[in-house]
Amino acid sequence: MGNWERLVWNQREVLLEGFLVTLHVCALAFAAAILGGLALCLLRMHVRPLRPLATLLIEFFRATPIFVQLMWVNYVWPELFGWPNSFFTAGWVALALQSSGYLAETFRAGIEAVPRGQREAGEAVGMGPALVMARIVLPQVALTTAPAIVNQFTVIVKSSTLVSVITVQDLMFQSQKLVNVWYEPIEILTATAAIYIAFVFAVSACGKRLSDALRRRFGIGSG
Amino acid sequence: MDDMPAIRASGIRKRFGELEVLRGVSFDVRRGSVVSMIGASGSGKSTLLRCINRLEAPTEGEVYIDGVPMGFVEDRGGRRRARSLAEINRLRRDLGMVFQQFNLWPHMTALGNVIEAPMRVRGLPRAEAVALGEAALEQVRLAEKRDAYPAHLSGGQQQRVAIARALAMQPKAMLFDEATSSLDPELTEEVLAVMRDLAQRGTTMIVVTHEMRFAREVSDEVMFLHDGVIEESGPPGQVFGAPRSERCRQFLSKFIGQAR
Repeated sequence: MGNWERLVWNQREVLLEGFLVTLHVCALAFAAAILGGLALCLLRMHVRPLRPLATLLIEFFRATPIFVQLMWVNYVWPELFGWPNSFFTAGWVALALQSSGYLAETFRAGIEAVPRGQREAGEAVGMGPALVMARIVLPQVALTTAPAIVNQFTVIVKSSTLVSVITVQDLMFQSQKLVNVWYEPIEILTATAAIYIAFVFAVSACGKRLSDALRRRFGIGSG
Repeated sequence: MDDMPAIRASGIRKRFGELEVLRGVSFDVRRGSVVSMIGASGSGKSTLLRCINRLEAPTEGEVYIDGVPMGFVEDRGGRRRARSLAEINRLRRDLGMVFQQFNLWPHMTALGNVIEAPMRVRGLPRAEAVALGEAALEQVRLAEKRDAYPAHLSGGQQQRVAIARALAMQPKAMLFDEATSSLDPELTEEVLAVMRDLAQRGTTMIVVTHEMRFAREVSDEVMFLHDGVIEESGPPGQVFGAPRSERCRQFLSKFIGQAR
């Protein structure tokens, strides 16, 4: 037990600091992925001239490995666009790209699953397409896709460990640093794994409760 | 002005690809009258109703609401141009539609469903919309369910909320598309009672229905559709009592005991 205390408990502030960076990166990536995914999805479905571009981006984001995207955003974008100008930004942007591709497809499935009669009820009282989308379709998509969206957050959390490679000081980065100080990986890496497991489980459990609550209240949501 | 029909359909045709569902339908609905449309499945009743509020655009023909054409505007030189979607949406406010599947919005409460269009489409302030919405829910006898979500209402209650939702826009006429067809018999009656009540208050109504007794009791005029045309029409006593068309007689014979 002495090793656990020395290597893990006594380093708790370092690990916590790393965990907060992980949270920060993941939260930004998650928010950007939702906005980006929604934008890609709406472009693909409703803006005919931009459909091929949106489809290409969605497929590209989904089909390239997250590690490649991370390197690409971190080393290629600054050359091409002069942005991002920090490792931290490059980290969450890369994470957001991949998830936005997946979420775009999730949103598309959600939009297509809203029954036609729902829109027609809006049209029949004189709502235009934008109002129907904003007031009738998207809120229902948010409810039906909530579990999948939460699940995507856990994917982001797991992928986020890779940002340590570009020196973003997240939990994984701090944990590796500790390993490199003492060359005693067992306790530290095991504790790190446990923290990730606990966090992902907690998020999943919240997602489950959320979808149960939505189903009870609104009678919609995937089983 | 008083002679002007609330709704006039003139030469409505509707084609879906090769299939011609409506083959030239014309009729008038006087203000304050109730017109029932009966006929077998596939006779074109629902499509006709959907052409009236332009959820389907007729392939030919025109619908007039208080003399105003739904599909086109005429400039001073008499040239016609098709109406934009925004213009059609403006006219649609005057027609309340009730669907077979209710189509309540599941993410809004009963009151939320009812005040949505008055607020977002007509731009009423919330307090005014709520007053209007509560009155509409009162009218369908569901005031106490104002905060319930659709998932917690019975089919009959959902349909009554849907009626309230249409009423809250204070339409010139109400269109009922088989409003009771997906309800159990005991729930059907509570919806029919609300519709009867509306008819007695002088609401202009077009009712597509399989409820022959209701059609007979409440309608001022009954139209029998067959194969995309109005095969027979007249006062309910005539259509149900002494139909001239053989097809209408055959159709009604399936409902013996319900209406006659």
